[in-house]
Order: sequence, then C-alpha cells, then structure tokens
Amino acid sequence: MLDQYRAVWAVDFEFIAYPGTRPDPVCLVAHELHSGRTIRLWRNQFGSTPPYSTDAGSLFIAFYASAELGCHRALGWPMPERTLDLFTEFRARTNGLPSVAGSSLLGALTHFGLDNIGATEKEEMRDLVLRGGPWSAQEQTDILGYCESDVVALYRLLPAMLPTIDLPRALLRGRYMAAAAKMEFNGVPIDTVMLERLRRNWSSIQDQLIAEIDRDYGVFDGRTFKVDQFAALLARNGIPWPRLESGRLDLSDDTFRQMAKAHPAVSPLRELRSALADLRLADLAVGDDGRNRTLLSPFRARTGRNQPSNSRFIFGPAVWLRSLIKPPPSYAVAYVDWSQQEFGIAAALSGDPAMQAAYNSGDPYLAFAKQVGAVPEDATKASHGPVRELYKQCVLATQYGMEAEALAQRIGKPPVVARDLLRAHRETYRVFWRWSDAAVNIAMLRGIIWTTFGWPLRIGAESNPRMLRNFPMQANGAEMLRIACCLATERGIEVCAPVHDAVLIMAPVDRIEADVEVMRTIMAEASRAVLSGFELGTDVTITRYPDRYRDERGVVMWERVCRLIEAAEAVTEAHSA
Amino acid sequence: MANKLQAVPESVPVTPADPFDLDALRVSQDFEAMAGVKKQLINVPVRKPNKQDFVRVNPDESYRINLHVIVLQDDREVYVVRPDLYTALSNEVVTVTLFTAINRQGVVFLWPVRLPSSDGKTNAWWTSARMAAEQAMTKWVRVSANQSLGAYEVMTAESCTHEPDWPEQSLQELIRIAFRERIIDSIDHPVVKRLRGLS
Repeated sequence: MLDQYRAVWAVDFEFIAYPGTRPDPVCLVAHELHSGRTIRLWRNQFGSTPPYSTDAGSLFIAFYASAELGCHRALGWPMPERTLDLFTEFRARTNGLPSVAGSSLLGALTHFGLDNIGATEKEEMRDLVLRGGPWSAQEQTDILGYCESDVVALYRLLPAMLPTIDLPRALLRGRYMAAAAKMEFNGVPIDTVMLERLRRNWSSIQDQLIAEIDRDYGVFDGRTFKVDQFAALLARNGIPWPRLESGRLDLSDDTFRQMAKAHPAVSPLRELRSALADLRLADLAVGDDGRNRTLLSPFRARTGRNQPSNSRFIFGPAVWLRSLIKPPPSYAVAYVDWSQQEFGIAAALSGDPAMQAAYNSGDPYLAFAKQVGAVPEDATKASHGPVRELYKQCVLATQYGMEAEALAQRIGKPPVVARDLLRAHRETYRVFWRWSDAAVNIAMLRGIIWTTFGWPLRIGAESNPRMLRNFPMQANGAEMLRIACCLATERGIEVCAPVHDAVLIMAPVDRIEADVEVMRTIMAEASRAVLSGFELGTDVTITRYPDRYRDERGVVMWERVCRLIEAAEAVTEAHSA
Repeated sequence: MANKLQAVPESVPVTPADPFDLDALRVSQDFEAMAGVKKQLINVPVRKPNKQDFVRVNPDESYRINLHVIVLQDDREVYVVRPDLYTALSNEVVTVTLFTAINRQGVVFLWPVRLPSSDGKTNAWWTSARMAAEQAMTKWVRVSANQSLGAYEVMTAESCTHEPDWPEQSLQELIRIAFRERIIDSIDHPVVKRLRGLS
C-alpha cells in the first residue's frame, strides 16, 4: 500500500508547550521506512527546511500528527502534503468499542500486543523535556533516545494497523491534522486585561453575583443552593421540573439548560449555578501573546468532532465568558457558522424533498409549520413567532432523539401537544425517517456506520439508538467542518478556532470582509462536498477592535459580572487610597 | 530489517493520484438502499376505526371486497365464512365490505362495513359508516358514534394533506394475515357451535 510513495517517514518531535503557548521543538527523530535511514536532530540543528521531503511523493507518518505538524509550523517548515496519522486511524479502528488501554501510543501498542516503553519511564522523560533547558549532554542523549523509541513504536505499529487502514480517507483525515496544527498555532485573541481583572475579582464578586441574581428567586442560602426553596419556587410558578428515578429534582446542568429554553425565567439561575460550579478561570489557557490555545483534540469524540478541554478552551466554558474574545488593535474577528447545519445535512443526505424545501426556504422551522398547515403560507417569524418556536423545538427534539415527554417539558405544553408535533414531523418528513430508520438498521446489522468520507462508528455491546440516529448528522457535520478548516487554512485564512458548526477567523480590519467572503465560499464548498452538491448557507458576525465578541445568550451575565468587578475594584481603590 | 518496506528507488518519480479528490472519496449514505430491511406485517386487525383515530381508506378498488362474516359482538371478533357455508349459516352470517384502512400511526386494518341485509334492509349506522369510508378515500376522517343521532358522525382533517404509506401487500395477503385463525370452514366450527348453544 505504501509502495506508491518514494519515501515514507515516521516522525516524532519532543517539544515544550506550556498552557496557551506555541510549541517549542526540542528534538526530532525521523526514520525512513524504505531505506531504513534514521535522522536525529537536536534543537540547535534544526534548519530552515525539514530534513526530509514533504512533497506528494513522500508520506509523513506520526502518532497524533497535529503535535508534529505544530512543530513544523513553529519552525516555519512546510506542512507535509501527505500525512498518515496513526492516532486518528487507531481511533477510527476502535471508535465506539471499549478500549483496552486508551488511544495513546501506549494504548495502541497494547491493543496490538506489542512491547512498549513503560508508562512511568515515559512520564519521567516528558517531565524532563517540559522542565526546559539547558539539558546536560546525557539528558540530550536520553531525550533523543526517548524520542526515537516513539519512532520505533510507530514503525512497529504501522504493519499491525496498515491492513485495515482506508488509506485514501486516512490521508484526508491526516490533512485535517495539519489544519488543526495551524489553528492551534493561531489561537483565539483574548482581552487579557479583562481576564486578569476577572481572575482577580472572581472570588470576591461571587457573593454579590449570587445576591443580585437570587433576588428574583430566593433559592440560595449564602453560596448554597437550597433544593427545597427551589422546589417551592417551581411550585409557585407552576413549572413542571424533571425528576430523577429517586423522585428528587433533576438539577443537572443539562436539565437546567433544557428547562431554561422552555422557561427563560430560570436562565439566569442556570448561568449562575454553572459559573459557580464549573468556572475554572485559572485553567483557561492563554499564552503570553494573549491567545487562547489548547489541544483541539481532533477525532476524540465518537462523531469525529474535536473535543478540546472545556476549561482550557474559550469556547468551552459558559457562553458569557466568550466576551473575553477581543481582536487586537486594527484587527477584527468573524464568527461564521452554517445555518441550521444538522437540519440541512438531514435533508440532503436523506434526500427528503419536503425537508430540502424547508431548508432552502431560509427558515426551516417556519417552513415546517407551513408544511403541516399550522400557519398560513404568508406567515412570518414576526406574525407567528410562538407557533414557529413550537415547531423549532420539535425539529431540535427530533435531532436529539427526544421523546414526547421530554419535548413536552421543553415547550411547557401537555404531552399530547408534543406527541402531535413529533407525529407531524414523521408525517411531513417521511423520506427522512425511512432513511434515519435505515441508518440505525445498517448500524445494527453490520456493526458499523460511517460518514460521507468514511469516519466509522463501530457498534459495541452497548449501543445507544438515539446516538446512532443522530450520528449521520453530527459526524457528517464534523466532516464538513474539517474540510472547511483544511481549505481555509490552505488558502491563507487565519482560522483561530473551529467551534462545532462554525469557525472563528481573524484578519486586519480592512481585509476582514474579503476574508469572510472567502470563508463563506469555502464553507459552501465544504457543504457541497459532504452533501453531494447540496449547499448549506452561512451566517456571520464580525467584531472589530475595540469591540469584543459577544454571544447574545451571555450578554446579560457578562454585563452583570463587569458591573460587579467595577464595584469591587472601586472599593479596593477606596481602601488603598 | 523487519521495519523495512519494499524499497522504491529514489530516482523513480512517484506521484500518487490526488488523494483529495472529494468526489472520488465519497462513501454512499444511502442507508435505505443498503439496509434492505422491510417492515413485516404480521397482524392486521379487523375492526372499525377507534373513535379518536383519523383514518384513510385505500381508494384502490382492488383493496376492498364484500365477504360473508360472523361477528362475535361480545368478543369484538370477526370471522370470515367460507362461501359454500353461507346457506347453512345464513342466520348467523352478515355481509360486509372490508375496506383497507390506515390510521395516522401507520396501523393498517380492515374496516368491515355492513351491506344491506338479504331482504334489502339497512339503517343509518350502516349507511353513515359507508359514507365515512368513502370520504376517507380522499381525506383523513375521524368516525365517532352519536347514539342520539343513531348514526356515525364524520369529521375531516382539512389541513392534513399527507398521503398515507400503504402497505405493499395485496388485499388477499392482508386478508390471509387478518383472518389467519378466524376462518369458519365447517358447520362444526367452535364459533358456530357457540352461536347455536352447542358448546
């Protein structure tokens, strides 16, 4: 399979990467599999070009290639044109199945019963690298040896994996690892001054934040959330709240998020609970250059989506915190996302004409209501907002595999209304439902389901039908995003981060609109590639310096926090004066 | 060396085909064609529509038939009678049109609607049921009994225009499934004995 390549290089770097910083390569070992030639370079031996060929006739093999390619980027080396990432392929091979020892290099070697360097020794060597220089001659030898052991592991792993690797599509996945490396290298611009103020004051403003928000609820006692008071609040307001099997109120963040959609009045309470429980500002990884960087963790999710750390990634924590995103002077950022991506994917891949017509109307939720006959043909979002919202919630519910009871809670209506909505969806989009049923059948019959470009999900002993039903939309959405990120980074767009069904890009203020147009064209192209010609639209929000990025869902919380910080700082100043 | 692959000389220019031709890489998502899974019809109720159901009747003539049946009112069961037994069982037998019907949940059933009796008598229940079945050939209808009216009332769902997914099976096959264990093929059949007080 690899004979078609003039050279096949197994490569590993050791590098230093502190939270939020770009990688600082320490050494490199590369082994060419045809000739058996090995190259060992210490950091002072790195040149302006790689010591191996990176053209289309050479294959670059690594384990978790975005790390190696990040080193290429840091060194100003070109990206290899053909990359085979054995981490990604190991994930593809085992995705959905229980893992023997995880998805690391050690885990992959263990999976195939191959010898590997002991985990403890690996940990010690990583610590030695991360300690930073200077390193003694012996330490340099040890680090190079350790680096080479990973390369040896790579070319021992390769023959075990190669027979089942779908090389053409594996190369497409490898191409994304280069895009991921570039995006990680770019990072997201953060208002570090504001972040510092937030970190400094967060602890002291929590009490005021609770007091301010809880004024409308009365469910906190100090910093403690009182369940009985919350239950009384629900009873007073006639809000039916989901309960656990034990009969206790379900207070998970997921439930709060769902219920906040049906009952917006509880939304501030949800934001507050989430901020108090989960916000770890110290973990947000911001480098000295004011960019938030963290491993995007490509292909970590079952759907093949990126799975970056929630606490380290600016798009991970609460939406209000995204207001920390701020372009530097003379720059702008743009958030470009596909419109109703999941609905569009479902419409296109199932070939459901009614669903495609709804998507192409520009407002699938209202179109759905019209198709059912719930609103007149000339209805608009303004004239029939509440009905549109019901049908929107129904569409979203079907995407999540939600049953009538859960939908009823979400829309705050009796179950019979939810059942009728779900039935209307099944009747209106029958082609889609047949296709969706068939997707689940295929998965259960063959033990595997896959995306347009071959990302597989294998069906283990514990399959989840809801997840299977949603897999084609989620995983093909991930394919679409990966292709868009490849094209954008290869065409010179500065992509700061991929975000589920969107990208954040940055450009000088006088170029941002042109870059946005290029990005939208690329995203349209990516959608056509995944959906056999069906094109998805995009929406754009541009933020120019000195403005900060804002997610509408978090604006109230952000402004409240800012107000409290200013008050806290005023008190501190008064004390110090 | 175990780790060495078959060498390709450096001097030979090798340019693999473009691996990023997305059209060439696309894998089919036509799961329906691949799955080859068909829903099997293993139960076809014989009954009138439930009073809350909206139903449609298959307008295709080949999906209705007149048959002699015996109806056990207490058990809400319908038995089909072999034609050659009609004369012997004429006191127990009634003649119905079996319409092929379906509700909004996709449940297929055979709807028996009485034909006038052998002496030509009919009543409002029978005629209103027949009219309801005829209306259900083009519209989703809900049929409910109005005792004070002495007839069925019919409501049509004007806004619901979706055509039902009719089963692929022929009426003959539907009848075979529906009456699998409910065919009266002799006058010694337990149902006949029961009606005649012989069991």
